[in-house]
Amino acid sequence: MRFVHLLRKPLLLHGELDYGGPGSLGKRVRAPYEETTRIADGAVKVERAGRAPRQFALERAPELQALLTGFSALLGGDAATLQRYFAPELVENAPKWTLTLRPREPDLAHRLRSIVVDGRGDEPHCFALHEANGDASVMLLGTLSGAKLDDPPTPAQLDALCRAGP
Amino acid sequence: MPRRALSAARRGAFIVAWWVLLATAAVFAQRLLSVSSDLRSFMPPAQNADQKLLLDEIGEGPASQLLLLAIGGAPVDTLAQLSRGLSRRLRDDAHFSRAVNGEFTSDALDSQLLPYRYLLSPTLDTHAFDADFLRDELQQRVQDLAAPGMQQLEDLLPRDPTLEVLKLIERWTPRHVPATRGGVWFSPRDEALLMVQTRAAGFDPAAQGEAIEALQRAFAALPNAAAARLTISGAGYIGTQVAAATRAEAEWLSALGTAGFVLLLLLAYRSAGVLALAALPLATGALTGIAAIALLFGSMHGITMAFGFTLLGVAQEYPIRLFSHRRADADAATSVRGVWPLLRLAIVSACIAYLAFLASGVPGLQQLALFTIAGLLAAGAATRWLLPALLPLRFRDVAASTRLEHARARLAAMPRPRWLPWSVLLLALALLWLAPAPLWQNDLAALTPAPPQLLQREGELRAALGAPDIRYLLVLEAPDADAVLALAERISAQVDKWISDGIVDDVELPSRYLPSNAVQRARQQRLPDRATLQSALDAASADLPFAADLFTPFLDDVEAARQLTPITPQQFMASPFGARVQAMLLQRQQRWYGLATLSGVHDATALAIGAQALGSQVRLFDLKAASEALVVDYRARILIALGVALLLLALTVALAFRNLARAWHVIAPMSLATLLALAVLRAGGVSLSLFHLVALTLAAGLGLHYALFFERPTPDAAEARRTLHATLVCVLSAVLVFGLLATSSVPVLRAIGSTVALGVAFHFCLSIQMAPHAGARRAD
Repeated sequence: MRFVHLLRKPLLLHGELDYGGPGSLGKRVRAPYEETTRIADGAVKVERAGRAPRQFALERAPELQALLTGFSALLGGDAATLQRYFAPELVENAPKWTLTLRPREPDLAHRLRSIVVDGRGDEPHCFALHEANGDASVMLLGTLSGAKLDDPPTPAQLDALCRAGP
Repeated sequence: MPRRALSAARRGAFIVAWWVLLATAAVFAQRLLSVSSDLRSFMPPAQNADQKLLLDEIGEGPASQLLLLAIGGAPVDTLAQLSRGLSRRLRDDAHFSRAVNGEFTSDALDSQLLPYRYLLSPTLDTHAFDADFLRDELQQRVQDLAAPGMQQLEDLLPRDPTLEVLKLIERWTPRHVPATRGGVWFSPRDEALLMVQTRAAGFDPAAQGEAIEALQRAFAALPNAAAARLTISGAGYIGTQVAAATRAEAEWLSALGTAGFVLLLLLAYRSAGVLALAALPLATGALTGIAAIALLFGSMHGITMAFGFTLLGVAQEYPIRLFSHRRADADAATSVRGVWPLLRLAIVSACIAYLAFLASGVPGLQQLALFTIAGLLAAGAATRWLLPALLPLRFRDVAASTRLEHARARLAAMPRPRWLPWSVLLLALALLWLAPAPLWQNDLAALTPAPPQLLQREGELRAALGAPDIRYLLVLEAPDADAVLALAERISAQVDKWISDGIVDDVELPSRYLPSNAVQRARQQRLPDRATLQSALDAASADLPFAADLFTPFLDDVEAARQLTPITPQQFMASPFGARVQAMLLQRQQRWYGLATLSGVHDATALAIGAQALGSQVRLFDLKAASEALVVDYRARILIALGVALLLLALTVALAFRNLARAWHVIAPMSLATLLALAVLRAGGVSLSLFHLVALTLAAGLGLHYALFFERPTPDAAEARRTLHATLVCVLSAVLVFGLLATSSVPVLRAIGSTVALGVAFHFCLSIQMAPHAGARRAD
């Protein structure tokens, strides 16, 4: 789910994420259109059906870079890296938890407000990216991705959904 | 005791004062005279359009100004950081006009130029801003926005929903760029790659050296720089490296030669006192020559200066003649008066001969002549009027040596068959006829070749970076700048075919950056008016979730673009991206030239044929061939000047002697020895260059002395011994100094060294062999 201030209503996409180890992340959009995004070796490659693939440097998208760093550190259990780039704040409500990551670097903080991860046990089920200009992306993982949403969905509804978990 | 002799202390003071004066003059000369390494001050004036363009291109050529950089030896992250830091610093450095490393620079199109994007981008050539096109574009933008981290896009979207800015940046990126890692270019060998353009000309080693130093300083100042290794390559860098290596070797061999010369002088005169004096005339002559150039020309080309110093080497003989001809029974002034008429004749005839160079019309040759004439006159005057008063009081009359008498007697008794010179002449002609190698070496660069590993590295980096070729250029010619752009547009389809045919990897036409006025107008006419665009936009975004009135800035920009006057080359050149176009468009005498750089030339012949098919306004320009043609022209002028010089010399000698037979005895051995040296070089597989010609001229100047002094009817055997002594010291020192140069690994030093050493040896042998009185003399 993506909220963009330029758009009247949020965008709802379905697809898969796959984590290929530190520095490598893939996103495949299945619906409403087909798109593959692959981050590897510091470059982002976007492929869409019927169009020439586009490629750009990861550093041109600092938000993506931060997301990737956070993702890698979380899944790799690398607390040191996490601490280095972010000020983490963990709210536990066993077995559920909410981890909020706020970037430490001022340049990045200027564009990215926070990354919020919700989970239960050792399984994350929500991954939210809040940009400084109010835009946000919320990824509902696992069974939560099938949850019924309002039309149009609101950020508040998604927040509640993530806190509650599947 | 001689009347005019000064006391030892005053003599010493005088010598020191002279040296101090020379040193001061040297400092002033260095300030006054700028030694240029710009080929234009050396070459003859351009004869045709190609040569004119070449001389300009040598000064301003874009491809030769490129330095190719590789940073390696550290982890990729560190290297990427260094690459970014270095390019940022170099963009702010006045030595450089451009620094690219693959980084995305969105500020390429400044806001002033932003409305022009619809006239610059080719989108409107193939599409109209109608509902269908806009719908397709806007759908893609929705998908773009669906990914996080597209803030840049979000900023751009309301103003530029079709992303023309990105299309332009893509268009302006070279076609073949290295792979990007961490946002910057990387080679397959894990080195960060950069390309920088110096403001200095590529063939100006001094200015290139400064830029390279600035570059190295900038790199060393970066954090983590010590952990990595910066490799520099490119024409300018190789030029400075080769120049430094040549200079180092020349200095080392000269130092060795000087040491040998000092030993020889000590051995010949058994006096340390002459050492301080021996170099004075030459140094005085050189500085006088430089002063003359500084006054009349202001600047001198490095090669002219090197030639000048070589030719001035003749003056080293003057003090030696003075030292060897001192007589035990007369004071220094009387001794010098004994040899002066002959020395004066040698100096005057050489000066008159060099007048031929003055009349050549080539600035480089005129400077050479002025330098040499002024230098020879000053060195001669110093030897005649200053040196005698400073000679050490105690000396050994060399005529007293018995060994010298043996040598003289042996030489005098040598058989002198009349047929020998003629058979030498025949032999020389036969050698010249049979010589295997091409007669001339026109490639000046071949004389100072770059080490193969430097060239290999340069080739690798050039290929990796897709950097333009430095030998070939596509030249477009038209009456004005816009016509050049229109011409580039006309041929671009054909040029694209060359690329797809694999003849060349990329051709960077100026129209890639700036379309002609007509094309801009055509695009402008295809821009819809506000109402039409508004309705197309409404139709296109009906089913899309964009906020209402989001695209008002887009409508404003298109409306503004409809009213614009197409951007002119002058306006465009003033913009940040304009530097590229500035280097590609040149105005020369009412004509405009577009220089399109070529990368990865695979088939120059096919390219030349292809360019020819495009009409007379388009030419494939071969910088190497054009510069060789210039060298050929230069050499032709030197040869004519040398021929005239020889005639003038013969005439002067004949007039001075008022006797054709005596003049013949001087000119004949000198000419024959020159011919023989030439023949032996050619038989050894040497192709001749300008440097050989200058070296032959120096040897001939020395040979003139030998011939003059051996031809001189000497009153007694003692004087003959002194003549032999002086000549032996001169010959041995010249063979020693230039023989050392001949062992050099640098072809240009080897050329000068071997030619002079060989020439001097032949001149000595032949002037003894052909001396008219030698056999008639008897020991006293």
